[in-house]
Amino acid sequence: MIRYIIRRLLWVLVTLLLVALITYTIFFVMPSTDPAVNFAGKQPTPELVARVRELFGLDKPFVVQYGQFVGRLFLGDDYGWPGLGFSFSTRSELKPVILDRLWVTAQLAIGAAILWLMIGIPIGILSALKPRSIFDRLAMGFALFGVSAPVFFIGPVLLYIFWYKLQLLPGTGYYPIEDGLSQWYLHMLLPWCVLALGFAAFYARMSRANLIETMGEDYIRTARAKGLSERRVVLKHGLRASLTPIVTMLGLDLGALLGGAIITETVFNLPGIGQYAVQSDFYAILDITLIAAFFITIANLIVDIVYAFLDPRVRYT
Amino acid sequence: MSKRYSIVAFVAVLALVAAACGGDEETPSATGETPAATGQTGEVPTGGVLREETVDFGFTNAFDPTGEYLGTAWSYYGNLLMRGLVSYPWLPGDQGGNEPVADLATDTGQLSADGLTLTFTLKDGVMWQPPLDRPVTSQDVAWAFQRINTESLIAQYGNYYCGTIVGMDCSGKSQEDPIEGIETPDDSTIVFQLERPTGDFLFRLAQPAAAPVPPEVAGCFSEAGEYGRYVMSSGPYMLLGSDEMDVSSCNTLEPISGYDPDRFMYYTRNPNYDQATDDNRQNYVDGFAQVINTNVEDSFNRVLNGDIDMVHGAPPAAILQQYLTNPDLEDNFKAEQGDRTWYITMNLIVPPFDDIHVRKAVNLVVDKASLLQSTGGPTSGDVATTIEPPAVLPDTASYDPYATPNLAGDLDAAKAEMAQSAYDSDGDGVCDDPVCQDVLLVNRNYEPWTNYTPILQENLSAIGIELKIRELEIDTAYTTIQTMNNLVPIAINAGWGKDYASPYGFDFFLFNTAGLACEGLVNYAMVGLTEDLASECGDNVLDAYNAAVEANGPIPNVDEDMEACVTTPPGDAYNACWATLDQRLMEEIVPWVPYRWGSQNVAIGDSVVQWVYDQSAAWTAYSRVAVDNDLTIEDVAS
Repeated sequence: MIRYIIRRLLWVLVTLLLVALITYTIFFVMPSTDPAVNFAGKQPTPELVARVRELFGLDKPFVVQYGQFVGRLFLGDDYGWPGLGFSFSTRSELKPVILDRLWVTAQLAIGAAILWLMIGIPIGILSALKPRSIFDRLAMGFALFGVSAPVFFIGPVLLYIFWYKLQLLPGTGYYPIEDGLSQWYLHMLLPWCVLALGFAAFYARMSRANLIETMGEDYIRTARAKGLSERRVVLKHGLRASLTPIVTMLGLDLGALLGGAIITETVFNLPGIGQYAVQSDFYAILDITLIAAFFITIANLIVDIVYAFLDPRVRYT
Repeated sequence: MSKRYSIVAFVAVLALVAAACGGDEETPSATGETPAATGQTGEVPTGGVLREETVDFGFTNAFDPTGEYLGTAWSYYGNLLMRGLVSYPWLPGDQGGNEPVADLATDTGQLSADGLTLTFTLKDGVMWQPPLDRPVTSQDVAWAFQRINTESLIAQYGNYYCGTIVGMDCSGKSQEDPIEGIETPDDSTIVFQLERPTGDFLFRLAQPAAAPVPPEVAGCFSEAGEYGRYVMSSGPYMLLGSDEMDVSSCNTLEPISGYDPDRFMYYTRNPNYDQATDDNRQNYVDGFAQVINTNVEDSFNRVLNGDIDMVHGAPPAAILQQYLTNPDLEDNFKAEQGDRTWYITMNLIVPPFDDIHVRKAVNLVVDKASLLQSTGGPTSGDVATTIEPPAVLPDTASYDPYATPNLAGDLDAAKAEMAQSAYDSDGDGVCDDPVCQDVLLVNRNYEPWTNYTPILQENLSAIGIELKIRELEIDTAYTTIQTMNNLVPIAINAGWGKDYASPYGFDFFLFNTAGLACEGLVNYAMVGLTEDLASECGDNVLDAYNAAVEANGPIPNVDEDMEACVTTPPGDAYNACWATLDQRLMEEIVPWVPYRWGSQNVAIGDSVVQWVYDQSAAWTAYSRVAVDNDLTIEDVAS
């Protein structure tokens, strides 16, 4: 297992380097993202653009720039380690900005994850235990709505209802925990709900499908035949097997969300890294892309390891 | 049991729908007073905080005044933070809002008879904010120019000074290096020596880059944009927390806490400001809060809800409709001249637009009234009939060389023009040459620009030009037409706003050869293109150039006309010179079809009891705004 983990970590490194290379190349290929022209202002004369390129080291060959970028990332830069560089547009170092925003995104992602697990899995279980009942039909209707209704639609609708009309919840914006737990919670509630809705619906469907399949297995029939209570049959035998794929999904979904829930952050004006990726520039987008890739690859690894513990048949060498 | 649950669920849904759809119309908050009309005087309350939201600040040089090119930033600098030798009165255009007035200086300068020496005397009593706590001096003004001249500081509009002030060439190595053409014989006197008479030099001095900066702080930053988080004020307000900066050395400086480039910008009063030294600013409010909100519709809802006072930027279509149709909101919506021309640009070296008759025919056939209507009608501006917006060059405000009935285009006149073109072999007024097929038009990919596409297709098809439309994301559209090698024949994605209300600041890069480049070109029509530059930008550019010259003669050049106008002394003769150039461009060169002079639309909340338009920056005159909330900036910033 240790050897497996080390091997996978090395692959994470390779993946990140590849992602950096591809992203860096895109910036070179697409002229609209040339930071030198953007920074040179409204009248980017050739002399001005040349000066900008020289100032920011953009006049060096692609290979040199990429090498310097990778070097900074792993060895640190003027601002410390890891070397995340600076923002062209604000001329400030990126590390504190990204770390602050990552914390906001983490709050959003983890809170939404807890919510969608609390909603999606119980709904899926109850639906599976009472298939084709009214509850099952309503639950699957909810699931259909949840996966169909996009965040950019649901978010403004709920804001309109609960903030603008009913004044039950505060509006958009981020309220740090240290400034007040209740205000923080109230500000995060709608974003959590909106982000969790789609996932809850999906998890409900997945849980239901997995549990229905599991409950049809021979060993479940055996467990019942042995006289175990239905509760024990479902929770101890049925659920454990059916939720294993859910764990896999959870890891991947969380990993992806930690790369930035762009739409939710934009709709609710949460200063997370997804929102930052949309409005920022070259180095910032590069850094956030790498961070997103990092979380996804690490999430993959963690999920695979957890899977081995959940399913004794799985062994890694 | 299940039936009861069904009924309960149904009732719950009904209740939710009723709550969402019912209730009163949105009621304005606060006192419900109608905001005062532009420039109205009387009992204007002081105090409170103007709370504004924006999608992002969008600064082009991280708020460093030496290079910052964003109009919003200029509005902050001029109204709140920086007192230049001259500035503006922060009023609408019809009240002199576009004319420089004395600010830090006692007057608008003493010009020598030969127009080459300009001397200013600084007012007494203009102080830097704490912790600097000292008078603003002529050396501070000179330092600003030394920064402009320093190569590493990337002065984005340094061209207005370099080559104009003796000794300035924008290639200086250090901001400590004095400039030969700027003398400061004492703390209150500054003398500029010019390379040539420059009729609009006062306008250039009114730009924020020319406002004084304190060397003890700005001198610590030698790269572009770095000073932006440490900007010190000589104006009525200062950035919140800036007075706590330790300015004892460069190493002790910390970014101002009241400015986070990604989140907010808070201003509070500068305790060292003396209102008696300032005739141009009224400074009613105690503070300003500029906060980022990425959800623009939410921001406008906040204005309607009374949570904030205004939003930076024009309202989206759905919100705009509310303001235009709800009588309760009539006074909350402002549409002012934006000093910006939106235009169709035609490439002088790409067929069929290399033929002047085709360019004139396009000017005659385009239905400008429909373009305006599809933009939003009169609130979005006026139909443009020439290059310069009226406030920039009043002399051409009623000049319309391609007048058509109801501004809707004149097909007969267009055909008559097209019939004279080499591309209409049978003289029927319709292009019959293959070059008129699949003509690439670059446009933006969102409204209202996408609304223009069918209008232009229909208009140009009537004279035989069939368009191949490419609707692109805004940055991509600009980059596409800025790359000479792309040889884009015609484009409608571009607009141009003034830097200052003098035609040089509007026309220069648009039509001067200085605006030509292989990449990043601004002179999209290629006016003045030479064979040397064409050959630098690629074989296809050179081939197109040679073909155009062979077919139509030399590419027209207006550099000398501009030079003659720039050196004309300020006044009627100066404007008349530019009006003549404008006419030459529109009638003898015809690079554009100007179609709209854009308005600046502003939606304000009821708590704004006085709102004034600042023509110079085409935005809110922050130094004349008043609100009736009782907030403090500390309340808002916490």
